[in-house]
Amino acid sequence: MIDNKTFIAAGIILAIVIGVVAVFMASGDPDGLESTALVVQGEKTLTGLSPEDGDAEAIGEGTFEYEAPLPDYSMEGAGKGGEIFSLIVGIFVTFALIGGVTWAITSKPSKS
Amino acid sequence: MHIPDAFIPLPQAAVYWLIAIVFIALALKWARNELSEEKIPLIAVLAAGIFAIQAFNLPVGMGTSGHLVGGALAAIVLGSPYAAVFVLSIVLIIQGVIFGDGGITTMGANIINMGVIGGFVGYYTFTGVKKVIGNTYASAGIAAWLACLIPALACAIEMFVAGTFPLVEGLIAMGLYHAIIGIIEGILTAGGIYLIATARPDLIETETSGGITA
Repeated sequence: MIDNKTFIAAGIILAIVIGVVAVFMASGDPDGLESTALVVQGEKTLTGLSPEDGDAEAIGEGTFEYEAPLPDYSMEGAGKGGEIFSLIVGIFVTFALIGGVTWAITSKPSKS
Repeated sequence: MHIPDAFIPLPQAAVYWLIAIVFIALALKWARNELSEEKIPLIAVLAAGIFAIQAFNLPVGMGTSGHLVGGALAAIVLGSPYAAVFVLSIVLIIQGVIFGDGGITTMGANIINMGVIGGFVGYYTFTGVKKVIGNTYASAGIAAWLACLIPALACAIEMFVAGTFPLVEGLIAMGLYHAIIGIIEGILTAGGIYLIATARPDLIETETSGGITA
């Protein structure tokens, strides 16, 4: 049994460690869905390697474009540092948003 | 299996959004009734961990990578499929809006696949298997494997309806890749439950017969 502060600190540190390791070790291959898109477009075989310049999204219609502030968990031109920064931002935003939403809906007056 | 905007035509994407909103409303209702302030550290840390682990693309061979989803983990630890809907919806919104991981128009479909289908398959597989074999960690591993595979197959069917993938080829490729990704998901889900059960057994759902008795 550890107290809340230790639990939160240990959890956040573990999440950051996972995130930092991910930046250096994560696979650059497309994920299962993108890989499937490459297969059905004939750019890759089912069990073969993915092409370096394959564009999974070429299969779609492109009806809607959205420019994310930190696209693909990275900052343009900031390299690994930008990726680590992006993941740490994501971890804290997730922590704060889930915690905040949960706090907001559980601390309503009728319940206390 | 985050679906990008280009993969689903807008009218279909709108239908998935409508269904997702119904489940998000049910998940908020669940959270209001079942979560207490004592659970805030657990759910917030769990969500931050799920965010981090989702960003880690593990190589699974065949020119493909995969990352964990975490729906089964959230559902099992918090004792309800709606926990997965609640946590995954917020994680998917953050991923889509800040990091462009998964589309905006297709976010409804992503919430349905990973949150709703992943959460329900994960939770009910866990409670069902645990009744038969008794072991919490083995049950959680099997549940997490299915909670990765079934949403992937659902995604393949959605891609067929959208006219993006042919049915059989899509099912085979999505099923094959996620059957392997699911093995990693199963192992890490069991590991995550072990970590939380060791650190804070009081936070884990124990009331239901299918819950964890740590």
